[in-house]
Amino acid sequence: MSADMNRQMSHQSEASSMGSDCDSSEDLDEDTEKFYYIDTTDDLDLDCPSKTDDPEYFEYEPLQLIDAERMMNEEIEALCMKLKVNPSTAKMLLLRHNWKKEEIIDNYQRDPSGFLVDTHLASRRKHDNLVGQRPVCSVCCSEYARDRFVGVACGHMFCRDCWDMHFQTQIRDGVTTGIECMAKECPVLVTEDFVYKVLSDSKLRDKYSKFSFNDLIKSHPKLRFCPGADCSVIIKAKELKAKKVECHSCKITFCFKCGLSYHAPTECDVIKRWLTKCEDDSETANYISAHTKDCPKCHVCIEKNGGCNHMQCPECKYDFCWMCLGDWKSHGSEYYECSRYKENPNIANESVHVQAREALKKYLFYYERWENHAKSLQLEETTTSKITARIQEKVMNNQGTWIDWQYLLKAAALLKKCRYTLQYTYPYAYYLDNRKDLFEYQQAQLEAEVENLSWKVERAEITDRGELENQMDVAEKRRLTLLKDFLEV
Amino acid sequence: MAGLPRRIIKETQRLLAEPVVGILAVPDEANARYFHVVVGGPSQSPYEGGQFRLELFLPEEYPMSAPKVRFMTKIYHPNIDKLGRICLDILKDKWSPALQIRTVLLSIQALLSAPNPDDPLDNNVAEHWKSNEKSAIEQARQWTQLYAKSNTVNSH
Repeated sequence: MSADMNRQMSHQSEASSMGSDCDSSEDLDEDTEKFYYIDTTDDLDLDCPSKTDDPEYFEYEPLQLIDAERMMNEEIEALCMKLKVNPSTAKMLLLRHNWKKEEIIDNYQRDPSGFLVDTHLASRRKHDNLVGQRPVCSVCCSEYARDRFVGVACGHMFCRDCWDMHFQTQIRDGVTTGIECMAKECPVLVTEDFVYKVLSDSKLRDKYSKFSFNDLIKSHPKLRFCPGADCSVIIKAKELKAKKVECHSCKITFCFKCGLSYHAPTECDVIKRWLTKCEDDSETANYISAHTKDCPKCHVCIEKNGGCNHMQCPECKYDFCWMCLGDWKSHGSEYYECSRYKENPNIANESVHVQAREALKKYLFYYERWENHAKSLQLEETTTSKITARIQEKVMNNQGTWIDWQYLLKAAALLKKCRYTLQYTYPYAYYLDNRKDLFEYQQAQLEAEVENLSWKVERAEITDRGELENQMDVAEKRRLTLLKDFLEV
Repeated sequence: MAGLPRRIIKETQRLLAEPVVGILAVPDEANARYFHVVVGGPSQSPYEGGQFRLELFLPEEYPMSAPKVRFMTKIYHPNIDKLGRICLDILKDKWSPALQIRTVLLSIQALLSAPNPDDPLDNNVAEHWKSNEKSAIEQARQWTQLYAKSNTVNSH
């Protein structure tokens, strides 16, 4: 039975139950109206899962630079009013305390000077390092009139030229909001009003303003620069969570929390560990996993040219699994086990050498699968363009309209989405300790359905539309089930 | 010495007029920003009795940027590597324009008295220090005798 039929059936049963609830004397027209109303909302729900249903749901919006600036300025202004401090100080307080306004206000009101000292915006005692009518600047050793000397909250005074030079050097090194006083072991920060007052080079003033703006965005928990190359979009979200964001401008998807490629169900720190590990060990892994394999039955050399792992030898027509080279017949969902790594049960008693080899074997097991799905995903791109070409051809030959064949592209897109999640289940599994059995079971289920879908998408000519859509539904359900159970955000 | 900042002139004068005990710093004849330095190994340390030669260079941005300092004499120390490079915070992120050549050299002398294997530059030496301090100190003492005696010629 196709997914469509399922849908229709459920609507009918709803409609009939609605009908029995209705008063028999009620107007028939009103009854139909009600029916249609319910029908449309239900359809919407099916197309885009509701907030509570979808574990990947995340609310965010893209901002232009100027909007983000306005938003932050409003927050800065509000804090100025509340605490009666100048904008530069308010900016620095927000930046240093990750924009936690309530916390800043509480701490400031409890002990204003202590809080400023802790934030490095004041010092416990006011220093005075100037002696006589024409003091000597301790940095350049030159003598100047007193009015040439300036300084920040700590009271350490140096001549304007030295401050200017200090700012130039720091900004060239990429330091802006973190510029400190020049005195030895003085941690007091230089706020922007002072920098703008002293800094003479106009190019460096622009650089300072740009870099400090970046620092402000980076410290803001609800804002993140799109990590796409040369993309200037800023994403604003309601909360700092490891959820999927797609940039409307450059189309890349990334994790809002860490900015890396989206990686559910794996967590941010785990994926970072995994990627570093892969980088370190990539040579070994590359050496071991070749791009071609021999048919397990007739030993003809086979190069994988599609995303599907269900292989059929072009020579002997033997159906096998690309990953484990076993018979595909044994890969019915219940027995699908080639996503599960079987550890040597006697490992604790083995020698260090054997343990090291076992560790490498374990890593390679997961790496190969991770890498294989990444490659399959790339190959799936070819599938999409092939489908597009095929649709063109069909439409030209009057075999249905362009709209009729859109489901094929939908299937390809869904396949990519499922395979993407599947790829990221392997780093998760590599570092997993708890609930390993359940995870591996669900992973195997997803793996099996994705391969089924892949097989059907590549052979869409001979696969029935209903069958394909049913398979899409099953694969997506498996993916969502796994994410619901293991996505910890 | 045309174009040499007043600050460098002042510091050089003071280094020559009131030298720090156990430290000798002399500017190069051809380059006033380049100093030949000799630091005496501190007493009660495995470097005692050694004379360690260093080079110190004041970059264009000095004193806004830290001086560049390097050991020329071979030394067995967890925070100094084979090339003589030194791991010292005030030479990096903790540099302040208020610090001077004098303070930098004093800090280096202090580093010889108190090696810090938890923040290593040379991992092998640091590992040695942590696993067997006694043997590491003995090695440092031997190297001092071998390479840092003023009457031996150090080609490093």
